[in-house]
Amino acid sequence: MGLTTCRKWLSLSLFSILLFPCAIAQNGDDGAVKEFQSRIDNYIAAKKKQDIAKKPTDSPSKLAQEKQQTVEKTRQARPEAQQGDIFTPPITTYFKKQIESTLQGPEGDKVRASLRHAEPLPNVQLKVNAKYPRNLPLQSMPPTLLKNLPPLPKELQYRIVGATLVLYDVASGLVADFIPGAVPAA
Amino acid sequence: MKQNRHTIYRNAALFVALCVCALAAHLGVAQAAPRALASQSPGDKLDIRIPLQDKSVRFAVIGDSGTGDHAQYEVAQKMEAYRQATKFDFVIMLGDNIYGSHSARDFAKKFEQPYKPLLDAGVKFYASLGNHDDPDDERLYKPFNMGGERYYAFRKGEAAFFALDSNYMDPKQLNWLEQNLKDSQGTWKICFFHHPLYNDGRHHGADADLRGQVLPLFQRYGVNAVFSGHEHVYQRIKPENNIYFFVLGNSGKLMTHDFGATRERVKGFDTDQSFMLVEIAGDKLYFQTIARSGETIDFGELPRLHP
Repeated sequence: MGLTTCRKWLSLSLFSILLFPCAIAQNGDDGAVKEFQSRIDNYIAAKKKQDIAKKPTDSPSKLAQEKQQTVEKTRQARPEAQQGDIFTPPITTYFKKQIESTLQGPEGDKVRASLRHAEPLPNVQLKVNAKYPRNLPLQSMPPTLLKNLPPLPKELQYRIVGATLVLYDVASGLVADFIPGAVPAA
Repeated sequence: MKQNRHTIYRNAALFVALCVCALAAHLGVAQAAPRALASQSPGDKLDIRIPLQDKSVRFAVIGDSGTGDHAQYEVAQKMEAYRQATKFDFVIMLGDNIYGSHSARDFAKKFEQPYKPLLDAGVKFYASLGNHDDPDDERLYKPFNMGGERYYAFRKGEAAFFALDSNYMDPKQLNWLEQNLKDSQGTWKICFFHHPLYNDGRHHGADADLRGQVLPLFQRYGVNAVFSGHEHVYQRIKPENNIYFFVLGNSGKLMTHDFGATRERVKGFDTDQSFMLVEIAGDKLYFQTIARSGETIDFGELPRLHP
């Protein structure tokens, strides 16, 4: 083995050692995303078993009636649901990291400004399977942040309430899960 | 003696009027939900600043309307008076269509009753979603013509309209927008949604992150005009990148004296509720903004800047 070959192997080894933690983190992230998607799939599957097909209607009474039925059926689908069922600790870590890196990224100031300009909300007490308060506005989600979070099926949306990231069930208006303290202070 | 009798009659009339008012207040008449107000009396002359050309596209614009308060009803009454005169046949809604709860009573009080004369005349409403709206109930409410979707497109004559959900501009919606703008054959491309991209109002300000995502698409695919609400005032913004921007968030709500320094706006109005009339004819867009009082607060003729 010549000196040049030795140098090549040494460089390659050093490079691999440097990349190793990144590779572990990447695998960890992939695992968290995969696990999150699997939990979301389970959520949707459980919901679909009980779902009622809603169609456009002229009647607000019918909408209200169907909404109530959807609320009951969504709760029945996960009667024991608790905070952290979907956002498990590894998934929570992944989401916090994604949010933080978005806020520290090139669009971070715009994202923060967008959050700051939202309608001020009183101290909202969130609970899984409880309704998001109907008299309160829903915070709009900064598009850059949405680009950096795993995609969701149309039945669910991410929402920010104060510093909490909420998984919002659109049809029922229920909180599916949430991560307190997901948005770091400026 | 004659003078005394006159004074007695006048005082008696005043006393009776006061009693009636007190009784009405006691019975809660003053607090009752406002009803659709009678249309403009024939004697009132309307100030019309749009040309009413043959085969033009005419529509009205309202934003942040769904309060159910008296001011919303008064704006609706003015809209009906102008509909009779200008024959606009549809209305675009810039979000916050129903504030607060979304019971059947709320839909009636905050939409069906105030706009009853318009609905009865066959005027169609096309809603976009605001942060106070229920995204599920409203997309399924037929009179909002959303076809069961959070965002959608429709065509009127030469003009193509794109109703967006600015509350949740996810990559899926951005892809949809790009594809639909690209495929659109409309000579005029008009986008409407709740959160303004430019805004001199102090309460919310502009949504710079949203702007960063949608503006490149608007430029690339030749959007001509953008209407937004959210800030409870009226603003005509300086054209940017050959696009006209309007903010109209005061068709029900109002944030008086909301303006900070003039940076983006050409014209602003923050002392009363208002709505807009728009007419598109050939290469021109004509607009007129009318206050609840009936006063025209802004109007003009804008050429199409994108080819």
